[in-house]
Amino acid sequence: MGGNLQTSSEGAVHPEIRLEGVSLVYEAGGSQVLALDDLHCRFAAGRVTAIIGPSGCGKSTMLQITRGFMPASRGTLSFVGPDGQPMPRPPRMATVWQSFNLFPWRTIEDNVAFGLEMAGMPAAQRRVRAHEALRMVDLGGFERKYPGQLSGGMRQRVGMARALVMDPEVLLLDEPFGALDAQTRLVLQEQLAAMVERTGKTVLLITHSIEEAVLLADTVYVLTARPGRVAAEVQIDLPKPRSIASTHDARYAGYFERIYGLLKSEVLRSMHGEAGGQA
Amino acid sequence: MRDRTPEGDVALRPVRTGTAPADRITGWIAVAVFLLAWELLCRALDVSSLYLPRPTQVAVALYDLFVHKQALSDLAVTLYRIFGGFAIGMVFGVALGLAMAVSRRLQSIADVFIAALYPLPKITLIPLLIIWLGTGGPFMLTISALGALFPVIINTLLGVRQCDPGLVMTARDLGASERQIVRHVLLPAAIPSVFAGARLGLGVSIILVVAAEMVVGKLGLGARLYLAGQVLETETVFAVLVVLAALGIAVTKALDAVDALTGKWRA
Repeated sequence: MGGNLQTSSEGAVHPEIRLEGVSLVYEAGGSQVLALDDLHCRFAAGRVTAIIGPSGCGKSTMLQITRGFMPASRGTLSFVGPDGQPMPRPPRMATVWQSFNLFPWRTIEDNVAFGLEMAGMPAAQRRVRAHEALRMVDLGGFERKYPGQLSGGMRQRVGMARALVMDPEVLLLDEPFGALDAQTRLVLQEQLAAMVERTGKTVLLITHSIEEAVLLADTVYVLTARPGRVAAEVQIDLPKPRSIASTHDARYAGYFERIYGLLKSEVLRSMHGEAGGQA
Repeated sequence: MRDRTPEGDVALRPVRTGTAPADRITGWIAVAVFLLAWELLCRALDVSSLYLPRPTQVAVALYDLFVHKQALSDLAVTLYRIFGGFAIGMVFGVALGLAMAVSRRLQSIADVFIAALYPLPKITLIPLLIIWLGTGGPFMLTISALGALFPVIINTLLGVRQCDPGLVMTARDLGASERQIVRHVLLPAAIPSVFAGARLGLGVSIILVVAAEMVVGKLGLGARLYLAGQVLETETVFAVLVVLAALGIAVTKALDAVDALTGKWRA
């Protein structure tokens, strides 16, 4: 269990990410649709920030903007280094996806090594790194299998290994456990919480699970239904490392209820909005 | 869907023909009965071998063709023309299909030409190509390549278009350049579709090469067929047809084997 996956490599900077006044407007059927409205968020350096909100509130769009795949219509995105100054270069980022997105024609080790291969790392070296990453997610021995031969939970562990092997300074989790069954999800949440704790990376977690947000995050942003606005920022002050046992903490119930209350009104509002739209 | 048991998966598939040994034996018995009936009917009704030679006469003609009449070199020439042209068609087809899938401008240009040329029976290009290229090797390779080109272009294009956009985004997230995305994501994702196109294209290449050989009438199995027909050597006509059918079967089996190899793509 050694190596550079747990302690980040030399020169790694875990930045604070700032969204200031970020809005996103897109064209649909000739009219302008406001998806995200004037977001102000800070994703603290080396901490886990969760974004939670009703379906279609623009959570994943927020992740796309942070990743730099989609420009914001208004507002700024900045990465601030430990010295309080904007980073001279964008940070290394890697994403874990809800739908796993493994390359079905590549073996597990070649999936994990994809990013290293693209960066031009020699084959022998990247194989060593890929095997090490696979051992970290308890998938040693599956190197030569294909994704189609693995269960959903195993595939997502490959997805985690593939992101972590890149030693990202910012780890983006796009509903990473949304496609998994409840038991697998619990186990992977615990494993991920422990892994993230060790590496001290800046993590952005998009989720629709309150439990997941409270168990993994230091800060939870609750978004409103479309257009996405910040409804509340909740600091989660539960001892770490957290596990399923943390749900027995009295404070856990408090956080859960607070977030649920905020979400419930938003979900109801969006449901009524849809009903109104159909009428 | 993906977590279906392998057993359940098999049970849902329709029965595949000719795979079980028992089915295969039944098939061969049917062939033997058919040949025997043909032989006996021709003898009983005293059919002229000019119209319908008996299977035994065809067998003799087949032996004669390969042992005394150097048909092996004709077979070699025909195979070279089919596969040489097919290979050229594949290379250009995959390259063009990929380029069209990536470049919107190139696609709008190529779309017009493909729309015009695709429905045209390629066999009608034989006279024009003979005027331009003569009747030798370049003509034969061109007509064969043209046969494979269009199905391969269209299937490559379709294959790339059907690529999961999530995989492209993942590759970009992991630092792949646009060129690397084409090479390491779009092309491999299109492979099953490319092979489907190759299967169609090879069939067209075979037809076009044999037809072109019949028109030119010098070398190759098509020429043998045409010349034998001209002098009413009906046994030889049948013998060449048997060789062409065997070639067709061999090609189909080989493609099935390649298909099985690319099976992991669809996992």
